[in-house]
Amino acid sequence: MFSLYRCLLRLYPSPHRREYGEEMTAVFCEVRTAMEKKGAVTRGIFWLREIRGLVHGAFAEHVRSWAGSHSWALLPTRRFTMHSEFRFPKATPILMALILAGTVLAIEKAQAISASLPHINPPVGPIQPERLTFLPPVLLMFAVAYAAGLIGWMILFALKRSGMHRLSQVQDSAGRE
Amino acid sequence: MESLPLTEPVLLILLSLAGQPRHGYSILKDVEEMSDGRVLLSTGTLYGALRRLLDDGWIERFEEAESSRGRQAYRLTAGGRRNLQTEVSRMKQLTRLASLRVARKES
Repeated sequence: MFSLYRCLLRLYPSPHRREYGEEMTAVFCEVRTAMEKKGAVTRGIFWLREIRGLVHGAFAEHVRSWAGSHSWALLPTRRFTMHSEFRFPKATPILMALILAGTVLAIEKAQAISASLPHINPPVGPIQPERLTFLPPVLLMFAVAYAAGLIGWMILFALKRSGMHRLSQVQDSAGRE
Repeated sequence: MESLPLTEPVLLILLSLAGQPRHGYSILKDVEEMSDGRVLLSTGTLYGALRRLLDDGWIERFEEAESSRGRQAYRLTAGGRRNLQTEVSRMKQLTRLASLRVARKES
């Protein structure tokens, strides 16, 4: 894993690597030694954090060397990000389990219907490779990912709004009392 | 230029150096301790922030005299300390305002 760290360090621009590479490696070794006493999960999280930090840091340094002092405008910072301590309601796992069960049942039902029907359609021939292009599947993949993200965001937004609405009702009723 | 308001990791790094000069590992541990284990910096994040602060003249780098390995350490510059005080004053003002507003709503 240490060699992975050294490899990822090579992603940095060479001036940065020359200036800080050795020092970063020394600090990493100290942290890694301290982590050896911890559990496997903590060590795994540590590794993920280090990989993410190196990749993001290398990208930021490249942007910085390319854009100079204006790199802050190109890189998103978490300066204005407010974390609202949002948590899913307790009913979420039940709801998700119900959705999963419904999906599985629907698939089984569809398979049963498909098996009971006579196969009147001719079998589909082999797909001709020359007809496949790279772009449509990629676009479709992006569209599906975008739609999934949008639906997820809408669900989160609705849950958050309903939570805030309930909270304001509680506060109003407490204020009236 | 490291602009105000500062991000939480950068603020914690500066607060760590406000007490005494420190080397990289010592900053990591101090930040973790100050934030009760909430802010865990990776070496990539730490050295990205240190480099920006060095470039902007908020901190300076020197070789530790006591260390046999010639380890590099970091300390706040006079300008960096002034900027940190400005940020702390801004946060104090904001906290005072927030406390007043929240207390007014509760009463």
